[in-house]
Amino acid sequence: MFPNSKRDIAFPFLGSIVLFVVLFGGGLIYQTILGNGSAERLVTTMLVDAIIVIGIQIYIGNTGILSFGHIGFGAIAGYVFAVYAISPEEKLKRIPAAPFGLTETQVSPWLAIAIAVAVTLVFAVIVGIGLARSGAQSGSVAATVITLALLFVTHEVAKSWPELTGGNRGGISFGIGESLSGRWPILVVLFGSLVVARLYGQSRSGRLAIAAREDNLAARAMGVNPLVQQMVALLLSVAIVAIGSSLRVWQIGSILPDRFFFDYAMLTLVMLIVGGRNSVTGAVLGVAVMTAARELARRLGQNGFEVFGIGLDEPPLDWIFRENLNSVVLGVAMVAFMIWRPTGILEDWEFDQWLYRKIGRGGETKPERLSELETIPDATFTASDISVSFGGFQALSNAGITAQSGEVVGIIGPNGAGKTTFVNVITGMVEPTDGQFSIDGQALSGKASYELSRSGLVRTFQNLRLFGALTVRENIETAGLVAREHRSDRAVRDVDALMTEAGLWEHRDRRARELDYGNSRRLELARAAAMAPSFMLLDEPTSGMSDSESITMIEQVRHMAATVGAGVIVIDHDLGFITGISDRIYVFDQGKVIAEGTPAEVQANPHVQAAYLGSAAIT
Amino acid sequence: MTELLQNLIDGLGRGSIYALLALGVAVVFGIMHLLNFAHGELITIPGYLTYWAFQNNWSWWTVVPLIIVSAVLTSLLIERIAFSRVRGAKDFTLLLTSFGVHFIVAAGFLLYVGAAVKPYPRPDWFADTVSAGSLNVEVFDLVVIGVTIVVLAGTTWLLQRTMFGLALRAAASDFDTARLMGVKSDSVIRGAFALSGFLAGIAGVFWIMREGQMTPTAGIPPMLQGVLAALIGGLGSLRGAVLGGLVLGLAEVLLRSWLPVGIQNLTTGFVFVMIALLFIFRPGGLLSVPQVERV
Amino acid sequence: MLEVSGLTTKYGAISALRDASLTVGEGEVVGLIGPNGAGKTTLLGSIAGLLPIDTGTITFDGKNVTSTAPEKILRAGLALVPEHRRIFADMTVEENLKIGGITTKAAERNELLEEMADLFPVLRDKWDTAAGYMSGGEAQQLAIARALMSKPKLIMMDEPSLGLAPILVDLVFELIDTLRSQGRTILVVEQNATRMLNAADRAYVLRSGEVVATGTGSELLERSDLFDTFVGG
Repeated sequence: MFPNSKRDIAFPFLGSIVLFVVLFGGGLIYQTILGNGSAERLVTTMLVDAIIVIGIQIYIGNTGILSFGHIGFGAIAGYVFAVYAISPEEKLKRIPAAPFGLTETQVSPWLAIAIAVAVTLVFAVIVGIGLARSGAQSGSVAATVITLALLFVTHEVAKSWPELTGGNRGGISFGIGESLSGRWPILVVLFGSLVVARLYGQSRSGRLAIAAREDNLAARAMGVNPLVQQMVALLLSVAIVAIGSSLRVWQIGSILPDRFFFDYAMLTLVMLIVGGRNSVTGAVLGVAVMTAARELARRLGQNGFEVFGIGLDEPPLDWIFRENLNSVVLGVAMVAFMIWRPTGILEDWEFDQWLYRKIGRGGETKPERLSELETIPDATFTASDISVSFGGFQALSNAGITAQSGEVVGIIGPNGAGKTTFVNVITGMVEPTDGQFSIDGQALSGKASYELSRSGLVRTFQNLRLFGALTVRENIETAGLVAREHRSDRAVRDVDALMTEAGLWEHRDRRARELDYGNSRRLELARAAAMAPSFMLLDEPTSGMSDSESITMIEQVRHMAATVGAGVIVIDHDLGFITGISDRIYVFDQGKVIAEGTPAEVQANPHVQAAYLGSAAIT
Repeated sequence: MTELLQNLIDGLGRGSIYALLALGVAVVFGIMHLLNFAHGELITIPGYLTYWAFQNNWSWWTVVPLIIVSAVLTSLLIERIAFSRVRGAKDFTLLLTSFGVHFIVAAGFLLYVGAAVKPYPRPDWFADTVSAGSLNVEVFDLVVIGVTIVVLAGTTWLLQRTMFGLALRAAASDFDTARLMGVKSDSVIRGAFALSGFLAGIAGVFWIMREGQMTPTAGIPPMLQGVLAALIGGLGSLRGAVLGGLVLGLAEVLLRSWLPVGIQNLTTGFVFVMIALLFIFRPGGLLSVPQVERV
Repeated sequence: MLEVSGLTTKYGAISALRDASLTVGEGEVVGLIGPNGAGKTTLLGSIAGLLPIDTGTITFDGKNVTSTAPEKILRAGLALVPEHRRIFADMTVEENLKIGGITTKAAERNELLEEMADLFPVLRDKWDTAAGYMSGGEAQQLAIARALMSKPKLIMMDEPSLGLAPILVDLVFELIDTLRSQGRTILVVEQNATRMLNAADRAYVLRSGEVVATGTGSELLERSDLFDTFVGG
């Protein structure tokens, strides 16, 4: 569940306590200084907002999918809570004709919250399936519209089903005796949400979701099924939003359709975005900052407010300082942050992880070098008779290769020879018109890319696809998490040791996006090795490297493969590199394999020379 | 039979407005991958101008051009102030920028005009009907359908026959290559926003007439219908957007007439359920544009 | 006519071009050869304004056009036939050509359309077909014709023979000869090194983002070490 108990459980827990104390403590100080009821209400409102924003962060932050729908889920939860929690006498006044015999029902507020969460989760599952079908991934437009539609439809139903909801004007007010007195339920839930959000972010599921957020394709190539992790994040996040929304209804003592609509969706989103959506610390900061900013704007907009004796509601400033100024502030904050700092104040800085790096890690010792595996488990990769045509164009015709474990097989060919198409076929990106490929007779054709890597064929990418926001260690760890689950029959090597082998120990806490090119390449290699693959498929591993870098890459690839006992299939344009690294080489041209053999044999082959230099070279 | 025919005309009338809105959304989406959540402001801003114009005793004859022109200008202005600064940004950023713009405009109305409903008169022929046998058809629906046909024909001509249309289509299909051919990125993007604004302006004329009043958040429903219709048709497809709009309009009207009396007011909810089902079985929309995954 | 000096371009951490320089004179056919990944496409993309340049300058016709928007570079008279042709698949042949001539006046555009139809008879046959339905060779001719529609002073072609059957490769080189005989200035990126060297007045050899050799076509053909650049060593 958690890669490192100290880093991923103890410190997040500690960090949650600190965030809780800072937020609540700040609120207490504020209300003590002002010492009036409205300040107290403001702080209570902020605490409930914090619960809901933290809930939303779990989904948006970890998956990168923008959702307006969480407030829609909040509406569902709020109404379920209200309908169950109000006394029958109150219901007779408000919603005498409620369906499902709800008029007579009454349960304790806590049980009502539980029911609200359960009902909301049912809706979340349905919406989640819809999102998955729409191919939701970080930044998906269609997914966002689906969530927007949910927000809209809950609002419409709430307005136009007065038998259940009290409709638009009256709303439901209650009535459980009275509204929530005292803050302790809110505080308990707030602290719980902080802990859950932080632990989730550090958990296996959270890590895989973040990996998919950073690079969906690379995550799938590492055996992650993003749709599953997105669903987990959604349910967890909706559960917290549901509890928070129930508390909001309890606290206010009434519910109206407009309470959970665009304005509130906007407020919570701005809070999340301003602080930094990818971190819980950012969410909490955003709640504090936006609460303060809105309160300030509201006060400045009030009648009779003066600064240094100048009345702000008089000319020439009255056109700015007006009632409702606080809602303009929201919109302006949103657009301004999107234009100048779309990642928010804190970006993905997380307090507890910073603390862990400062004081928690202690003296780490560099692990010993890994020995190469003595016995390499037998495995054979076979691709045969692969043909692909696009429109009328035959990109591949009857191309095939085999590779054994422990062997390095090179694939070369001029631009347009069909190498890329071949790679796309055996990585599940392109459906072949004809032909199969398999490992040890287990057919792999037609499988999704995350299934391919779980079956032992793990790829790297020509254009480097790392999980940029994750550290070097976390990148490799992510593959390790998948390997432990799906590749347990193989030697899953220690993450730190692999990292050291790749020469990345000194960079272990740097984010992958900050690495230079050579280190990025090595990280990609180490990450693939951490999957305990039977075969590593390296797509142009030296593209953009200088000659000397390419030569050192040969040793690294061979050593890394031997460490995990994998066979290597490598595609590269650099013939020096390919002949240096490969035991056998396949030469592609015009969509066919035109030669196969040892590097020396291939180099001497006149057809190969012709393919590279043009037909004139044959003569 | 008569009822069905009547519903069909009614549905096409609604659907025509949605189609115009969706087409405007799709044009902008095609060119800069921005799903414009501020599209509804191309109706609220002209809508408040309509209210102002009637306060000053304008007539519908002068208000209609006012609506169209102000919609185009609003569209261009929003592009200039906000969207031009996030060109090429991530989808997440684009979505939230447009949402923020919607919010600023809505909050601005709240600030300077107030939350109160601002009514203005509908045109005097609005409620007229014409009868053919037992069929009673609203003149309004016929006008909407007629005008939409003309506008769609004009838009088709623009896209197929003019250099601007060609440039727009080229840029939507491959922005960089279009620039290599000399298509000016600024002009083509502004052109797309102007066209989007014009289409929203036409839709806005009918929407504003039909509503008979304005509120600060009145932009949400037309925005949502436009965006949803574009999605139903298949994001990125202009034909799909028009089709999606018509389907959405018909679905609303037919569903309302088929649902039992007790739950008719939940029509919108059922429409959304149908849309959800559509996406589950056809995730890309009706005329889905194939998405190529780039390695 | 075109002078590129000290060009360095990066993709994130990757240096795709390191201090590359080249010149193209009026009326010349210049080849740019090198193995896959050598930076040839990056070089053309940088000249055409598609890619951000880190350092270096590009002068065309005496004007500095470094880091200029693609649409302005085209107006300066420099057209690029991009890699993979990048024709507008949903648009007809005629529409593709018209887009190519967007910078010209309507009357002139119509004359140019006629000219292209004469130069590429296959396009005339498919005039109203959606370009996506054309074969690779036809599409390549369309891509070249589309670039010629802007009446460029210099036309750059990125791997015009990519993915074409041998007979069509012949056609592409014949076409380059035809364009040369019309006195046009051409800069061609090619993988088919021998044929390119035979067709070009001069050529540059690129490897790992650097220019490693330059000379006339026949000079470079003599250089046996070049072979190693491509096939190993």
